[in-house]
Amino acid sequence: MRIAVLVKDVPDLVEELELDESGRGLAVDDLSYVPSEWDDQALEEALLLKEASGAHVSAVALDTGDVDNMLYTALAKGADRAVKLVGDYDRTLPGRQRARILADYLAGAGYDLVMTGVQAVDDLDGQIAGLLGGMLGWPHASVVRDVAVDSGAVRFVQEYAGGRMAEFRSSTPLVLGVQAAKKPPRYVPIARIRQVSRSAALEEVEAGGSPSESLAAIERLYRPEAQGHATMWDGDAEQVAAALVALLDEQHLRS
Amino acid sequence: MTLRTMLMAATIVVALASVGVFSVRGRAIWTVLRRTRPVVRWDRIGERLLSVGTQVFGHRRMVRIPLSGILHYFIFSGFVVLLLDIVGTIGQVFRPGFGIGPWLSLAVDVWVALVLVGVLMAVYNRAVLRPARFHGSDERDAYMILVLIAIIVVGIVVHESFYPVVAASFFHVADPSLKSEFLGNGLYHVWQNLGWTTPTAGLVGYTVGYLMDIGVVFAFLAYLPYSKHFHILLAVPNIFFRNLRPIGELVESPPDETMAIRSFDDMRWKDVLDLFTCTECGRCQDVCPAYAAGQPLSPKMVILDLRDRLVSDWGRSEADAPPLAGGAVSREALWACTTCGACQQACPVFIEHVPKIAGLRAALLEDGDVDPAAQKVLVAWERQGNSFGQPARKRPEWAKGLEFPIRDARKEPVDWLWFVGDFAALDPRAREMTPVVGELLHRAGVDFGILYEAEVNSGNDALRIGEYGLFETLAQKNLKVLEKATFQRVFTTDPHSLNALKNEYRKFGFDKPVFHYTEAFLALIQEGRLPVSPVPIRATYHDPCYLGRWNHITEAPRELLRVLGVDLREMPRHGEQSFCCGAGGGRIWMDESGIVERPANQRIREALALPGITHFVVACPKDVSMFHAAATALGVDDRLRVTDVTELLAAAVGLRATPLPAAMAMGASE
Ligand SMILES: Cc1cc2nc3c(=O)[nH]c(=O)nc-3n(C[C@H](O)[C@H](O)[C@H](O)COP(=O)(O)OP(=O)(O)OC[C@H]3O[C@@H](n4cnc5c(N)ncnc54)[C@H](O)[C@@H]3O)c2cc1C
Ligand code: SF4
Ligand code: SF4
Repeated sequence: MRIAVLVKDVPDLVEELELDESGRGLAVDDLSYVPSEWDDQALEEALLLKEASGAHVSAVALDTGDVDNMLYTALAKGADRAVKLVGDYDRTLPGRQRARILADYLAGAGYDLVMTGVQAVDDLDGQIAGLLGGMLGWPHASVVRDVAVDSGAVRFVQEYAGGRMAEFRSSTPLVLGVQAAKKPPRYVPIARIRQVSRSAALEEVEAGGSPSESLAAIERLYRPEAQGHATMWDGDAEQVAAALVALLDEQHLRS
Repeated sequence: MTLRTMLMAATIVVALASVGVFSVRGRAIWTVLRRTRPVVRWDRIGERLLSVGTQVFGHRRMVRIPLSGILHYFIFSGFVVLLLDIVGTIGQVFRPGFGIGPWLSLAVDVWVALVLVGVLMAVYNRAVLRPARFHGSDERDAYMILVLIAIIVVGIVVHESFYPVVAASFFHVADPSLKSEFLGNGLYHVWQNLGWTTPTAGLVGYTVGYLMDIGVVFAFLAYLPYSKHFHILLAVPNIFFRNLRPIGELVESPPDETMAIRSFDDMRWKDVLDLFTCTECGRCQDVCPAYAAGQPLSPKMVILDLRDRLVSDWGRSEADAPPLAGGAVSREALWACTTCGACQQACPVFIEHVPKIAGLRAALLEDGDVDPAAQKVLVAWERQGNSFGQPARKRPEWAKGLEFPIRDARKEPVDWLWFVGDFAALDPRAREMTPVVGELLHRAGVDFGILYEAEVNSGNDALRIGEYGLFETLAQKNLKVLEKATFQRVFTTDPHSLNALKNEYRKFGFDKPVFHYTEAFLALIQEGRLPVSPVPIRATYHDPCYLGRWNHITEAPRELLRVLGVDLREMPRHGEQSFCCGAGGGRIWMDESGIVERPANQRIREALALPGITHFVVACPKDVSMFHAAATALGVDDRLRVTDVTELLAAAVGLRATPLPAAMAMGASE
């Protein structure tokens, strides 16, 4: 089983996010970037598959900025290969264009299974897996977990509303958007990453410029607007607790 | 064949056999030692000899448990005297007429008596008192050795007592019986009364006594390296080769690739020597907070399990053999360690547990086996530079409410550079005290500054979790700004940061003096720069491990409290023998399942046992949070107030009211 895990980095939500002057994007200068947490889940699931039933795992990233460390980290965790798709693009590249570049690469690269994170915090579309499936003409499922290899085919689980589960079995090649791995993503010591970055090379694949795709454009980006119904209590835990108790008393909700 | 020829032949045979059996194991150990990592322990010979003097001949650590210390002194000193006896006895057989003289013979008999008393005390200790620290030690081995020792010393008296009988007939020397051999002489009179002074009785009696002595001595020698009693030979070198560098430095120099211990080859030679020197005394287990909390860690068992694993295959493990980390020593045991260092401090033969535990943790970490909550902290350190996962710009926010600006040490020269640390900067409770520290420094006219958002965690805990690479990354980030800043000394309230800056950053060339706030404020008060009025409370003081044990700063905080007029009462475990709060070594972030009673709760109960104590004084931002939680959990926070030294200083200079426990505060307002 040859697996490609698609990884990207996203703004670190711990930092304060500022809008840029156009009001249609984030002020990227002040942002720090971290690997998308769902991609970590997808990578972990792929590595667990490798450990359970043997697989060749490649981490694939578009060169939209500083992705090298992310790829070295994947190698240090146990991926067999790291591929960087290089071209003239940056982090603002829309998902649909990303999907096209990825699909062009994946089409001829001989993978049996492509795993993506279910979504990423920078757009919350959760579209890449579906788009890739469509562009490649491969079966696709998203929001999946418990991926297993079963005599050449792939089994996985989707969770439905009301606590129901569906178990799937699909032929390969296949695209999966992974919700969660069977175990929390593993830690890899920094020394190991450094060692890998000295000894291993990233495979660079020329992927050309931005493809033309019809895109939905962002008109305006803004913070959630308060509707005036919520009261935020300031202060430390004790003050907030006192305010809560006072409210409960006021509403006669405390016996 | 005469008696002499027979005894000479027997002596040579047992001596050769003994040396043979001994060297089989000796060679095996030597082979392992030669493959280990280097570490320099030959320097500062004078100091090394001095510590052999105080620790071996002075039994300095041994006498911390008086009964064991005394009984051991009897037996230990008996071994020195035994050497005289061996020379005298073998000499007597090989060169008729040879003797060690009346005085040395007297000494031998006196020590025979002392050793027997020591053996009886040891049996009483093991069989009747049964201290818990022996739990897990090899009891059979311990008794075996006591029996062998008893046989040897009784044998000495037996052959002495028959010597007058055989001297003339078999050794052809005049009866040399020495009055000073009072035990032998006494027994000789018994034989006389029993009529056992015939040549045959003499021959049998002397032979039995000789073999009980010399025969068993050689058997003992052969047995030594297969038993915990190897320490008889190894304790002296192990103490000689003890760590004389600042003990707070966990890693001496940057490791080649990794600090992980996966095989015995990854250990330093001293670590392997440690394994064979362990006396199984359990003193380390007795003081271990993880063991006391009911967790599956005993520092003694870490050493013994590693030793047993080493002798099972001599480090030549098959590929599928269980690993050292997570096999020979369980992962639960390794992650339970707070790296408090109490074990090392208690060990009479200076075994170093913490570097082994940290190296084994590093191996677990490389395999991704780390507590999920601790993993989050490692990631937060890497990304945000603090354990709270807060953005860097939040780090200096505590300084916002101050009426004076704190200087930016990145931009202008300062006298004191204040390294704030994660907890003092970001922990909701500890952070309340941080501006007060600033006010105190300001009031004392200290020219100080901070690194604002450029400071990151010191890396002390990351290193102790086994993450050397992350420690180095954090250290380099700090050093980059520290090297550009101009300052005379580093000031910090955080013992963990202090330890890293003082001991761990040296390997990167950082050598500025580092002061804890207890030391610094004491000096300011003594110089008259910070006038104080008395804070008349009765308090006990908890020594943080990274201040007291790892950096020997125990006097300054006490002197400071005295200067503040505090009536200080000591808990039984204090100073360098303090009991850990349970937070160190990354434990503060880890899963607590398996803990029967938290070390911090045990500590609060220890304080409550002191009469009339109203304040539990701490000098570490992590302790503020640990002991507040413990006092609340025990429901005693209304009568025992966990107080940072800062609060007392603030009261003494009139910045704040004296902090009082709720019960007293109510009493005061009524
Ligand atoms: C990335 C991602 C994250 C998610 N996160 C959450 C979460 O946090 N919490 C949560 O509760 N759920 C979550 N969901 C699930 C989601 O809320 C709903 O399950 C989802 O919106 C329903 O769409 P579907 O694609 O499953 O259904 P689909 O069957 O594709 O239906 C989508 C729409 O297509 C049309 N349609 C489909 N079939 C027909 C038909 N036969 N006739 C007419 N119209 C039809 C309808 O308009 C329908 O509403 C997530 C889903 C994704 C993809
Ligand atoms: S360092 Fe402390 S917690 Fe760790 S083994 Fe030693 S005594 Fe126990
Ligand atoms: S390590 Fe030291 S303290 Fe612990 S049992 Fe061995 S000799 Fe005793």
